Amino acid sequence: MSPLLQVKNVTKKYGGLTANNDISFDVAENEILSVIGPNGAGKSTLFKMIASFTPTTSGEVIYQGERISNLKPHIVARKGVVRTFQETTIFKSMTVRESVVVAQHLRAKASLAGYFWGSKTAKEDVTAFGKYADELLEFLGMSEISNEQASNLPQGSLRALGIAIGLATDPKVLLLDEPFAGMNHDETMNMVNLVRSVRDERGVTVMLVEHDMPAVMNISDRIVVLNFGEKIAEGTPSEIQNNEKVIEAYLGSVDDEIGM
Amino acid sequence: MEQILANGVYLGSQYAMIALGLTLIFALMNVLNFAHGQMYVIGGFVTYTFYGQWGVPFVLALVMSCVTLAILGALIERFLFAPVIKGSAREESTMLLAAGIAFFLDAVILLVFGEKQRGVPKIVDGVFNYDFRLIMPYDRILICVLAILSIVAFIGLMQYTKTGRALRALAQDRTAAQLMGVNVDRYSMIGFALGAMLAGLVGGLLVTITGVNLGMGGPTSIKAFMMVMIGGAGVISGAIWGGIILGFMEAIGLALLYQYGDITYLLIFVSLMIFLAIRPQGLMGKPWG
Amino acid sequence: MMLGFTSKQLVGVGIFLFMIFIGVPLIIGATGRWDFYFTLTSVALLAIASAGVWLTFYIGRINIGQGAFALIGAYVSAILVVKAGWSFWISLPAAGLFAAIVAILIGLPILRLRGVYFAMITLVLTQVVTLTALALPITNGAKGISNIPLPSSISVFGIPILPDFAAMENTKLAFYYTACIIMILTYAALYRLVNSRLGHLCRSMQQNEELASSIGVNISYIRVVIFAISSFFGGLGGAMFGSIAQSVYPSSFQVADSVNFMLNCFLGGLGFVFGPMLGTLVLYFGWDLLFEFGKYQMLIYSTVLIIIIRFLPNGLLSIRFGKGGDK
Repeated sequence: MSPLLQVKNVTKKYGGLTANNDISFDVAENEILSVIGPNGAGKSTLFKMIASFTPTTSGEVIYQGERISNLKPHIVARKGVVRTFQETTIFKSMTVRESVVVAQHLRAKASLAGYFWGSKTAKEDVTAFGKYADELLEFLGMSEISNEQASNLPQGSLRALGIAIGLATDPKVLLLDEPFAGMNHDETMNMVNLVRSVRDERGVTVMLVEHDMPAVMNISDRIVVLNFGEKIAEGTPSEIQNNEKVIEAYLGSVDDEIGM
Repeated sequence: MEQILANGVYLGSQYAMIALGLTLIFALMNVLNFAHGQMYVIGGFVTYTFYGQWGVPFVLALVMSCVTLAILGALIERFLFAPVIKGSAREESTMLLAAGIAFFLDAVILLVFGEKQRGVPKIVDGVFNYDFRLIMPYDRILICVLAILSIVAFIGLMQYTKTGRALRALAQDRTAAQLMGVNVDRYSMIGFALGAMLAGLVGGLLVTITGVNLGMGGPTSIKAFMMVMIGGAGVISGAIWGGIILGFMEAIGLALLYQYGDITYLLIFVSLMIFLAIRPQGLMGKPWG
Repeated sequence: MMLGFTSKQLVGVGIFLFMIFIGVPLIIGATGRWDFYFTLTSVALLAIASAGVWLTFYIGRINIGQGAFALIGAYVSAILVVKAGWSFWISLPAAGLFAAIVAILIGLPILRLRGVYFAMITLVLTQVVTLTALALPITNGAKGISNIPLPSSISVFGIPILPDFAAMENTKLAFYYTACIIMILTYAALYRLVNSRLGHLCRSMQQNEELASSIGVNISYIRVVIFAISSFFGGLGGAMFGSIAQSVYPSSFQVADSVNFMLNCFLGGLGFVFGPMLGTLVLYFGWDLLFEFGKYQMLIYSTVLIIIIRFLPNGLLSIRFGKGGDK
């Protein structure tokens, strides 16, 4: 079976700085794949290139046989590859439900003019959006806060809202940007279960960038490790845990942090 | 050719000073000061009053322009911008306030100084003439030199004094500056006063050459906006480059196209729009948003 | 429920329409202040242009270039009527469309700019259009176009639909009604737009363009569409103005007018569709009333303006809708 998404020799340079150098790996359908690495390893840049938020310097990203790198974000989203953001990137003055309704943009059948004149299709769309929003929020356990304004939500709920917005687009591949950052153990475990059920029950392939090692080891089918913009390892959690290069990279960075 | 270059330097040096004041205020407070042109005009009228009408020495009159504008700037910041920035839900409210202040200053200028074009006696007579290839009145040369000296002094102030360092820290990151112990409120006021003072100083310098009138405010603001956009908003080197580039474009355009009147400005505006379409952050600005 | 309005809203709209079409003429008739017709007609037309500025704000762009599009609209209509002999009523939508096309061409590059940069470039745009009007032969340079005939009658299959304005005794009233009808249509369209999906997408873009594009919104397309609609309103308002004044000059709409359109929106409050209408009414009417103070008019006007901004930085409607904006 051919992979769902392929990262092929992707390189990104900012001026003289190389953020990603010749990175390649495959993502299989229905897989949870994590990209990890010490700070500044180029994880976020890689995600931005997959979602076409920034062009690659060379190399390409292939999704279902089509190139999706160096396009526009909304086109990639239309094809089914959608990224979420960290918690500050939300629709601040919308409620949770409004955000999820707006995010169903890609599911709309009526044209914008149809909405303006209030066509029959448009009315059906509006009803369908509302229904799906309620269903999705129920699935994510967010029904109680569906009428809260996003700017009033606590951090944990904001992460969930980010995922809800991403899911509302009906993605095939969801790219999660640090879904567990700043969470305590219980919150992390809830989120891990949530992400897993997104894959199991909705058939969404999940890629995530994360720092929280225990959570990553727990959730991932496979892991890709980056260090200084290079891929240094790829494999199952147990393979990664015993990989010397990875241990070295992480120990090295710990040394830096404590000033050795 | 020499003539065009000299005119470019002359225009560019004054423009750079105007742009510096505007960009300083923008960098510190994220305020687009619509009233900058009006401040320039007031500076001109103060020098006109002291030097042209009361016979006070030119340099003293210039100092009076600076002092007046610095005080005005400080008051405007302290009693208008600072509270509106604190109380407003949207940053854009400051733009509205700045527009209101521009109208207000226009009204004050009209009531105090009237509508007429005012000029002052020449500060030095004579014309520098190099073989008829380069002709420049001495007073223009003097003003140009003074403008360049002021820019150098301003850069020195920003680079080497405690105030300058505090202002730069504030411009870079307000919160971080506060954490580092910079008195944010105080330095915002000083910065605004300094920006207004620069506008007043150029006004005072230029009144000796172009005179001053009520209608100059708005167009001056627009030119200042353009320079800031060319160079990149909130960047000091950008403002200087923006001033020099606009000065040269104007000098070249007016020399080549003088028979077509305002077409020079039209071309400058259009090329600016094309330039910004390609490079939205200007020459020196950081990409943002 | 009718057209998605609640009964309370319907009553409000009813009172508003009654006041405009019956109340105002009665009051003016009783007080004899016929000059108010001109003032209120101007308010209606400026409110149309301000609605456009408000709409660009709705996608998170501060537009200080509406004067440019109003001027374009005024010239297009004037040229079509005077030089091509078109009926004013056909030139009116043509003026709006022309302004919209210009907005698409200019908007493609400049709508990538955000915040202060967009504000500054639109301000410069007003100046560009003024200078273009001075330079082009078809606009007659500084002399402008004067003696534009009043709108002629229009009939379809011999049935008169609109009367000939030149033959009317009271053109003031006719222009007042015309301006009000166009204003109401504009705001009805604006209301529908804001409450339809396009409006929701605009709101998502206003709050976060990155996130909006990640959910599949073609943000550059919507930006251009909105800017075109906004400029259509500007062109419409400008064309009507030229017809009433029966003349257009490069100075008919200047940078100060662009700034005023922006002030109208901000002052009314950005969170409310009818904000720009209220803002225009307060500012323009206020300005007109202060005329009695002669040379102090500007001083009082700007002082009041500054005081309002100082103490109500979130707009007039923020008193009622107390929650303020989004931050």
